Amino acid sequence: MFPYQKEGTLKDGSRVILRPLVKEDRDKLLDFFRRVDDRDLMFLRNDVRDPATIDDWVNHIDYSKVFPLVAEADGKIVGDATLHMRKVGWKRHLGNVRIVIAKDYQNKGLGTLMINELIDLAAEFGLEKLVAEVHLLATPALNLFKKAGFAAKAVFEDLVKDQSGQRGDLVVMVCEVLARERRGL
Amino acid sequence: MRLALISDIHSNIQALEQVMAALRRERVDQVLNLGDVVGYNANPNECLELILEWKVLSLAGNHDLALLDPDRARRFNLIAYQAIVWSREQVRPEFQEYLQTLPLVLEGPGYLACHGTPTSTDHYISYHFQGKAVFNTLRALRQQVCFFGHTHRRALWYRDVRGKVATLPVSPEKIRLEPSWHYLINPGSVGQPRDGNPDAAYAIFDDEEFSIHFKSVPYDIAAAQRCILKAGLPDFLAERLVQGI
Repeated sequence: MFPYQKEGTLKDGSRVILRPLVKEDRDKLLDFFRRVDDRDLMFLRNDVRDPATIDDWVNHIDYSKVFPLVAEADGKIVGDATLHMRKVGWKRHLGNVRIVIAKDYQNKGLGTLMINELIDLAAEFGLEKLVAEVHLLATPALNLFKKAGFAAKAVFEDLVKDQSGQRGDLVVMVCEVLARERRGL
Repeated sequence: MRLALISDIHSNIQALEQVMAALRRERVDQVLNLGDVVGYNANPNECLELILEWKVLSLAGNHDLALLDPDRARRFNLIAYQAIVWSREQVRPEFQEYLQTLPLVLEGPGYLACHGTPTSTDHYISYHFQGKAVFNTLRALRQQVCFFGHTHRRALWYRDVRGKVATLPVSPEKIRLEPSWHYLINPGSVGQPRDGNPDAAYAIFDDEEFSIHFKSVPYDIAAAQRCILKAGLPDFLAERLVQGI
Protein backbone atom coordinates (compact mmCIF):
# COMPACT_ATOMS: atom_id res chain seq x y z
CA MET A 1 0.00 0.00 0.00
CA PHE A 2 2.71 2.51 1.01
CA PRO A 3 5.63 2.87 -1.35
CA TYR A 4 8.04 3.60 1.50
CA GLN A 5 8.08 5.01 5.00
CA LYS A 6 10.33 6.07 7.84
CA GLU A 7 9.85 6.52 11.57
CA GLY A 8 10.51 9.85 13.28
CA THR A 9 10.68 10.78 16.97
CA LEU A 10 9.11 13.96 18.36
CA LYS A 11 10.28 16.12 21.28
CA ASP A 12 7.98 14.30 23.73
CA GLY A 13 9.36 10.91 22.66
CA SER A 14 6.28 9.91 20.67
CA ARG A 15 6.76 8.31 17.26
CA VAL A 16 5.29 9.23 13.89
CA ILE A 17 5.53 7.57 10.50
CA LEU A 18 6.65 9.77 7.60
CA ARG A 19 5.64 8.61 4.14
CA PRO A 20 4.34 9.89 0.82
CA LEU A 21 0.58 10.35 0.46
CA VAL A 22 -1.09 7.50 -1.42
CA LYS A 23 -4.51 7.12 -3.01
CA GLU A 24 -5.80 5.07 -0.08
CA ASP A 25 -5.28 8.08 2.25
CA ARG A 26 -8.39 9.87 0.95
CA ASP A 27 -10.52 9.49 4.09
CA LYS A 28 -7.62 10.05 6.48
CA LEU A 29 -6.60 13.26 4.71
CA LEU A 30 -10.15 14.60 4.66
CA ASP A 31 -10.49 13.82 8.37
CA PHE A 32 -7.14 15.58 9.02
CA PHE A 33 -8.16 18.81 7.29
CA ARG A 34 -11.50 18.80 9.09
CA ARG A 35 -9.65 18.67 12.44
CA VAL A 36 -7.26 21.53 11.59
CA ASP A 37 -7.90 25.17 12.66
CA ASP A 38 -9.33 27.49 10.00
CA ARG A 39 -6.36 29.85 10.44
CA ASP A 40 -3.94 27.06 9.55
CA LEU A 41 -5.63 26.55 6.19
CA MET A 42 -6.00 30.12 4.97
CA PHE A 43 -2.82 30.00 2.84
CA LEU A 44 -3.92 26.93 0.86
CA ARG A 45 -5.20 27.44 -2.68
CA ASN A 46 -7.99 24.86 -2.47
CA ASP A 47 -10.89 24.12 -0.18
CA VAL A 48 -9.35 21.06 1.42
CA ARG A 49 -12.49 20.29 3.41
CA ASP A 50 -14.35 19.64 0.19
CA PRO A 51 -14.23 15.87 -0.58
CA ALA A 52 -14.00 16.71 -4.29
CA THR A 53 -10.68 18.51 -3.71
CA ILE A 54 -9.20 15.54 -1.85
CA ASP A 55 -10.54 13.11 -4.47
CA ASP A 56 -8.83 15.16 -7.14
CA TRP A 57 -5.55 15.17 -5.20
CA VAL A 58 -5.38 11.46 -4.39
CA ASN A 59 -6.49 10.43 -7.88
CA HIS A 60 -3.83 12.53 -9.59
CA ILE A 61 -0.73 11.94 -7.48
CA ASP A 62 2.42 12.68 -9.47
CA TYR A 63 5.43 12.68 -7.14
CA SER A 64 7.55 14.43 -9.79
CA LYS A 65 5.27 17.50 -9.69
CA VAL A 66 4.08 17.55 -6.09
CA PHE A 67 5.62 15.38 -3.40
CA PRO A 68 3.02 15.13 -0.60
CA LEU A 69 4.61 14.00 2.65
CA VAL A 70 2.30 12.94 5.46
CA ALA A 71 2.97 12.18 9.11
CA GLU A 72 0.84 9.47 10.66
CA ALA A 73 0.31 8.57 14.31
CA ASP A 74 -2.14 6.04 15.71
CA GLY A 75 -3.62 5.52 12.27
CA LYS A 76 -4.40 9.23 11.76
CA ILE A 77 -2.70 11.80 9.60
CA VAL A 78 -1.26 14.47 11.91
CA GLY A 79 0.79 16.50 9.42
CA ASP A 80 0.81 17.25 5.72
CA ALA A 81 3.76 18.92 3.97
CA THR A 82 4.03 19.34 0.24
CA LEU A 83 6.92 20.07 -2.07
CA HIS A 84 5.82 21.66 -5.37
CA MET A 85 8.18 21.41 -8.36
CA ARG A 86 8.34 22.50 -12.00
CA LYS A 87 10.13 20.48 -14.65
CA VAL A 88 10.77 23.36 -17.06
CA GLY A 89 11.17 27.11 -17.06
CA TRP A 90 13.25 29.59 -15.12
CA LYS A 91 11.98 28.27 -11.80
CA ARG A 92 12.81 24.61 -12.49
CA HIS A 93 15.52 24.66 -9.81
CA LEU A 94 13.07 25.96 -7.17
CA GLY A 95 10.61 24.15 -4.97
CA ASN A 96 7.73 25.60 -2.97
CA VAL A 97 6.94 24.22 0.44
CA ARG A 98 3.64 24.22 2.31
CA ILE A 99 2.90 22.58 5.65
CA VAL A 100 -0.12 22.00 7.88
CA ILE A 101 0.19 20.39 11.32
CA ALA A 102 -2.70 19.10 13.46
CA LYS A 103 -3.34 21.30 16.50
CA ASP A 104 -2.51 18.55 19.00
CA TYR A 105 0.83 17.94 17.26
CA GLN A 106 2.01 21.56 17.16
CA ASN A 107 5.05 22.54 19.27
CA LYS A 108 6.25 18.95 19.35
CA GLY A 109 8.90 19.23 16.66
CA LEU A 110 6.76 17.60 13.96
CA GLY A 111 6.93 20.65 11.69
CA THR A 112 10.74 20.71 11.95
CA LEU A 113 10.91 16.97 11.26
CA MET A 114 8.74 17.28 8.15
CA ILE A 115 10.46 20.40 6.76
CA ASN A 116 13.88 18.81 7.26
CA GLU A 117 12.66 15.75 5.39
CA LEU A 118 11.37 17.90 2.54
CA ILE A 119 14.68 19.79 2.32
CA ASP A 120 16.56 16.48 2.10
CA LEU A 121 14.15 15.27 -0.58
CA ALA A 122 14.55 18.56 -2.46
CA ALA A 123 18.30 17.93 -2.62
CA GLU A 124 17.56 14.42 -3.86
CA PHE A 125 15.31 15.85 -6.59
CA GLY A 126 18.08 18.21 -7.71
CA LEU A 127 16.41 21.40 -6.46
CA GLU A 128 18.67 24.26 -5.42
CA LYS A 129 16.38 26.55 -3.45
CA LEU A 130 13.13 26.16 -1.55
CA VAL A 131 10.61 28.94 -1.14
CA ALA A 132 8.03 29.29 1.62
CA GLU A 133 5.40 32.01 1.93
CA VAL A 134 4.39 32.84 5.49
CA HIS A 135 2.07 35.43 7.07
CA LEU A 136 4.12 38.00 8.96
CA LEU A 137 2.10 37.37 12.12
CA ALA A 138 2.43 33.57 11.94
CA THR A 139 5.34 33.57 14.38
CA PRO A 140 5.47 29.78 14.95
CA ALA A 141 5.68 29.16 11.18
CA LEU A 142 8.33 31.86 10.74
CA ASN A 143 10.39 30.28 13.53
CA LEU A 144 9.91 26.79 12.09
CA PHE A 145 11.24 27.76 8.67
CA LYS A 146 14.06 29.85 10.16
CA LYS A 147 15.16 26.91 12.31
CA ALA A 148 15.18 24.67 9.23
CA GLY A 149 17.55 27.01 7.39
CA PHE A 150 15.16 29.38 5.60
CA ALA A 151 15.86 33.12 5.63
CA ALA A 152 13.34 35.93 5.05
CA LYS A 153 14.11 37.54 1.69
CA ALA A 154 11.15 39.87 1.16
CA VAL A 155 8.07 41.21 2.88
CA PHE A 156 5.07 42.22 0.80
CA GLU A 157 2.89 44.63 2.78
CA ASP A 158 -0.88 44.17 2.73
CA LEU A 159 -0.61 41.48 0.09
CA VAL A 160 -2.81 38.70 1.48
CA LYS A 161 -6.30 38.56 2.95
CA ASP A 162 -7.69 36.17 5.57
CA GLN A 163 -11.22 34.73 5.55
CA SER A 164 -12.69 37.87 7.15
CA GLY A 165 -11.05 40.14 4.56
CA GLN A 166 -8.36 41.40 6.95
CA ARG A 167 -5.22 42.25 4.97
CA GLY A 168 -1.83 41.00 6.08
CA ASP A 169 1.87 41.10 5.20
CA LEU A 170 3.45 38.14 3.42
CA VAL A 171 7.02 37.04 4.12
CA VAL A 172 8.87 35.15 1.39
CA MET A 173 11.51 32.84 2.87
CA VAL A 174 14.20 30.97 0.93
CA CYS A 175 16.40 28.00 1.83
CA GLU A 176 19.64 27.17 -0.01
CA VAL A 177 19.25 23.41 -0.23
CA LEU A 178 22.88 22.34 -0.57
CA ALA A 179 24.27 24.90 1.85
CA ARG A 180 22.83 22.86 4.69
CA GLU A 181 24.96 20.03 5.92
CA ARG A 182 22.41 17.28 5.56
CA ARG A 183 22.77 13.56 5.38
CA GLY A 184 21.48 11.01 2.93
CA LEU A 185 22.55 12.00 -0.55
CA MET B 1 51.36 7.82 -12.16
CA ARG B 2 48.05 7.76 -14.01
CA LEU B 3 45.20 7.49 -11.54
CA ALA B 4 41.62 6.72 -12.61
CA LEU B 5 39.11 8.45 -10.33
CA ILE B 6 35.64 6.97 -9.94
CA SER B 7 32.96 7.76 -7.37
CA ASP B 8 29.32 7.24 -6.40
CA ILE B 9 28.77 4.00 -8.31
CA HIS B 10 25.59 3.41 -6.30
CA SER B 11 24.94 -0.18 -7.41
CA ASN B 12 24.69 0.73 -11.09
CA ILE B 13 26.43 -2.24 -12.73
CA GLN B 14 25.54 -1.17 -16.28
CA ALA B 15 27.36 2.13 -15.76
CA LEU B 16 30.31 0.59 -13.88
CA GLU B 17 30.92 -2.01 -16.58
CA GLN B 18 31.15 0.67 -19.25
CA VAL B 19 33.53 2.78 -17.15
CA MET B 20 35.75 -0.25 -16.49
CA ALA B 21 35.73 -1.11 -20.20
CA ALA B 22 36.88 2.45 -20.93
CA LEU B 23 39.58 2.23 -18.25
CA ARG B 24 41.05 -0.88 -19.92
CA ARG B 25 42.01 1.42 -22.79
CA GLU B 26 43.33 4.21 -20.54
CA ARG B 27 46.57 2.54 -19.33
CA VAL B 28 46.02 3.61 -15.72
CA ASP B 29 48.26 2.50 -12.86
CA GLN B 30 45.55 2.50 -10.23
CA VAL B 31 41.78 2.95 -9.95
CA LEU B 32 40.65 4.98 -6.95
CA ASN B 33 37.02 4.77 -5.86
CA LEU B 34 35.91 7.73 -3.72
CA GLY B 35 33.04 5.91 -2.03
CA ASP B 36 29.35 4.96 -2.23
CA VAL B 37 29.46 1.68 -4.11
CA VAL B 38 25.99 0.84 -2.79
CA GLY B 39 22.61 2.57 -2.48
CA TYR B 40 19.98 3.92 -4.90
CA ASN B 41 20.31 1.44 -7.79
CA ALA B 42 19.65 -2.29 -7.98
CA ASN B 43 22.92 -4.22 -8.41
CA PRO B 44 25.11 -3.78 -5.31
CA ASN B 45 26.61 -7.31 -5.30
CA GLU B 46 27.63 -7.16 -8.96
CA CYS B 47 29.32 -3.78 -8.41
CA LEU B 48 31.20 -4.97 -5.33
CA GLU B 49 32.32 -8.06 -7.22
CA LEU B 50 33.75 -5.93 -10.02
CA ILE B 51 35.45 -3.53 -7.59
CA LEU B 52 37.20 -6.45 -5.88
CA GLU B 53 38.08 -8.15 -9.15
CA TRP B 54 39.79 -4.96 -10.35
CA LYS B 55 41.57 -4.48 -6.99
CA VAL B 56 40.19 -0.95 -6.88
CA LEU B 57 41.49 1.21 -4.05
CA SER B 58 38.27 2.19 -2.28
CA LEU B 59 37.02 4.60 0.35
CA ALA B 60 33.82 4.41 2.37
CA GLY B 61 30.98 6.74 1.42
CA ASN B 62 27.98 7.73 3.51
CA HIS B 63 25.79 5.09 1.83
CA ASP B 64 28.39 2.35 2.42
CA LEU B 65 28.42 3.31 6.10
CA ALA B 66 24.62 3.55 6.29
CA LEU B 67 24.32 0.03 4.90
CA LEU B 68 26.32 -1.16 7.90
CA ASP B 69 24.62 1.07 10.47
CA PRO B 70 20.80 1.34 10.61
CA ASP B 71 21.04 4.47 12.82
CA ARG B 72 22.93 6.32 10.10
CA ALA B 73 20.43 5.07 7.51
CA ARG B 74 17.51 6.49 9.49
CA ARG B 75 18.96 9.97 9.01
CA PHE B 76 18.66 9.56 5.23
CA ASN B 77 15.74 11.05 3.34
CA LEU B 78 12.82 8.73 2.55
CA ILE B 79 14.03 7.74 -0.92
CA ALA B 80 17.67 7.15 0.00
CA TYR B 81 16.50 5.33 3.13
CA GLN B 82 14.27 2.98 1.18
CA ALA B 83 17.12 2.16 -1.20
CA ILE B 84 19.65 1.51 1.55
CA VAL B 85 17.25 -0.71 3.51
CA TRP B 86 16.72 -2.72 0.31
CA SER B 87 20.49 -2.86 -0.33
CA ARG B 88 21.18 -4.14 3.18
CA GLU B 89 18.88 -7.10 2.50
CA GLN B 90 20.70 -7.82 -0.77
CA VAL B 91 24.41 -7.36 -0.08
CA ARG B 92 26.16 -10.64 0.64
CA PRO B 93 27.83 -11.06 4.08
CA GLU B 94 31.36 -11.20 2.63
CA PHE B 95 30.78 -7.87 0.88
CA GLN B 96 29.40 -6.34 4.09
CA GLU B 97 32.64 -7.41 5.77
CA TYR B 98 34.59 -5.80 2.96
CA LEU B 99 32.66 -2.53 3.36
CA GLN B 100 33.61 -2.51 7.05
CA THR B 101 37.30 -2.42 6.11
CA LEU B 102 37.09 0.68 3.92
CA PRO B 103 38.92 3.79 5.17
CA LEU B 104 37.23 7.20 5.40
CA VAL B 105 40.25 9.12 4.11
CA LEU B 106 43.27 8.06 2.13
CA GLU B 107 46.60 9.82 1.68
CA GLY B 108 48.65 9.02 -1.39
CA PRO B 109 51.71 10.58 -3.01
CA GLY B 110 50.72 14.25 -3.33
CA TYR B 111 47.02 13.73 -2.79
CA LEU B 112 44.34 13.28 -0.20
CA ALA B 113 41.14 11.40 -1.05
CA CYS B 114 37.78 11.44 0.70
CA HIS B 115 34.09 10.96 -0.04
CA GLY B 116 32.42 14.20 1.17
CA THR B 117 35.17 16.22 2.83
CA PRO B 118 38.33 15.11 4.65
CA THR B 119 36.47 15.42 7.95
CA SER B 120 33.05 13.98 7.05
CA THR B 121 31.52 11.55 4.56
CA ASP B 122 28.23 13.49 4.84
CA HIS B 123 29.33 17.06 4.19
CA TYR B 124 29.48 18.66 0.75
CA ILE B 125 31.90 20.77 -1.21
CA SER B 126 29.38 22.81 -3.20
CA TYR B 127 29.67 26.38 -1.97
CA HIS B 128 32.65 28.72 -1.71
CA PHE B 129 32.84 28.58 2.10
CA GLN B 130 32.90 24.78 1.95
CA GLY B 131 35.69 24.71 -0.65
CA LYS B 132 37.71 27.22 1.34
CA ALA B 133 37.48 25.12 4.51
CA VAL B 134 38.74 22.02 2.69
CA PHE B 135 41.67 23.93 1.19
CA ASN B 136 42.65 24.93 4.74
CA THR B 137 42.61 21.25 5.79
CA LEU B 138 44.57 20.29 2.69
CA ARG B 139 47.29 22.86 3.35
CA ALA B 140 47.53 21.87 7.01
CA LEU B 141 48.18 18.30 5.87
CA ARG B 142 50.78 19.57 3.35
CA GLN B 143 48.93 18.00 0.43
CA GLN B 144 48.34 19.70 -2.92
CA VAL B 145 45.32 17.88 -4.32
CA CYS B 146 42.15 16.51 -2.75
CA PHE B 147 39.90 14.09 -4.64
CA PHE B 148 36.31 13.99 -3.46
CA GLY B 149 32.85 12.79 -4.54
CA HIS B 150 29.40 12.81 -2.85
CA THR B 151 27.83 15.67 -4.85
CA HIS B 152 27.56 13.54 -8.04
CA ARG B 153 28.71 16.63 -9.96
CA ARG B 154 32.08 17.03 -11.64
CA ALA B 155 34.04 19.91 -10.17
CA LEU B 156 37.46 21.50 -10.26
CA TRP B 157 38.29 23.93 -7.46
CA TYR B 158 41.57 25.81 -7.19
CA ARG B 159 43.41 27.90 -4.64
CA ASP B 160 46.05 30.06 -6.30
CA VAL B 161 49.29 31.29 -4.70
CA ARG B 162 47.56 34.47 -3.52
CA GLY B 163 44.88 32.47 -1.72
CA LYS B 164 42.03 33.05 -4.16
CA VAL B 165 39.53 30.15 -4.11
CA ALA B 166 37.26 29.53 -7.10
CA THR B 167 36.10 26.85 -9.53
CA LEU B 168 37.19 26.25 -13.10
CA PRO B 169 34.86 25.08 -15.86
CA VAL B 170 34.90 21.31 -16.34
CA SER B 171 35.84 20.90 -19.99
CA PRO B 172 36.01 17.65 -21.97
CA GLU B 173 39.64 18.39 -22.90
CA LYS B 174 42.58 17.51 -20.68
CA ILE B 175 43.25 20.34 -18.20
CA ARG B 176 46.85 21.16 -17.27
CA LEU B 177 47.04 22.16 -13.61
CA GLU B 178 49.25 24.96 -12.25
CA PRO B 179 52.23 23.40 -10.42
CA SER B 180 52.04 25.81 -7.46
CA TRP B 181 48.27 25.84 -6.93
CA HIS B 182 46.10 23.60 -4.73
CA TYR B 183 43.13 21.70 -6.20
CA LEU B 184 39.93 19.93 -5.18
CA ILE B 185 38.78 17.50 -7.86
CA ASN B 186 35.44 15.70 -8.13
CA PRO B 187 35.22 13.17 -11.00
CA GLY B 188 31.39 13.11 -10.90
CA SER B 189 29.29 10.00 -10.43
CA VAL B 190 29.50 6.66 -12.23
CA GLY B 191 26.06 5.41 -11.32
CA GLN B 192 23.89 8.47 -10.74
CA PRO B 193 25.30 11.64 -12.36
CA ARG B 194 23.52 14.83 -11.32
CA ASP B 195 25.10 17.46 -13.52
CA GLY B 196 22.68 17.11 -16.42
CA ASN B 197 24.86 14.65 -18.36
CA PRO B 198 23.44 11.16 -17.80
CA ASP B 199 26.59 9.37 -19.01
CA ALA B 200 28.74 7.56 -16.45
CA ALA B 201 31.44 9.99 -15.30
CA TYR B 202 35.07 9.38 -14.31
CA ALA B 203 38.38 11.22 -14.54
CA ILE B 204 42.06 10.54 -15.18
CA PHE B 205 44.63 12.30 -13.00
CA ASP B 206 48.24 12.28 -14.15
CA ASP B 207 50.67 13.40 -11.43
CA GLU B 208 53.69 13.57 -13.77
CA GLU B 209 52.23 16.03 -16.26
CA PHE B 210 49.98 17.37 -13.45
CA SER B 211 46.73 17.20 -15.39
CA ILE B 212 43.13 16.16 -14.96
CA HIS B 213 40.96 14.80 -17.75
CA PHE B 214 37.20 14.59 -17.07
CA LYS B 215 35.52 11.88 -19.13
CA SER B 216 32.18 10.09 -19.41
CA VAL B 217 30.79 7.09 -21.26
CA PRO B 218 27.23 6.26 -22.30
CA TYR B 219 25.70 3.10 -20.89
CA ASP B 220 22.45 1.14 -21.09
CA ILE B 221 20.29 3.38 -18.90
CA ALA B 222 17.11 1.52 -19.87
CA ALA B 223 18.57 -1.72 -18.48
CA ALA B 224 19.52 -0.01 -15.21
CA GLN B 225 16.01 1.45 -14.99
CA ARG B 226 14.42 -1.96 -15.53
CA CYS B 227 16.49 -3.39 -12.67
CA ILE B 228 15.39 -0.56 -10.33
CA LEU B 229 11.71 -1.01 -11.12
CA LYS B 230 11.93 -4.79 -10.90
CA ALA B 231 13.51 -4.47 -7.45
CA GLY B 232 10.56 -2.33 -6.31
CA LEU B 233 12.73 0.71 -5.57
CA PRO B 234 11.14 4.19 -5.89
CA ASP B 235 10.27 5.07 -9.52
CA PHE B 236 12.09 8.38 -9.19
CA LEU B 237 15.41 6.54 -8.93
CA ALA B 238 14.84 5.13 -12.41
CA GLU B 239 13.50 8.39 -13.89
CA ARG B 240 16.43 10.48 -12.70
CA LEU B 241 19.04 8.37 -14.51
CA VAL B 242 17.91 9.46 -17.95
CA GLN B 243 17.82 13.12 -16.91
CA GLY B 244 21.17 13.09 -15.14
CA ILE B 245 19.73 14.64 -11.97
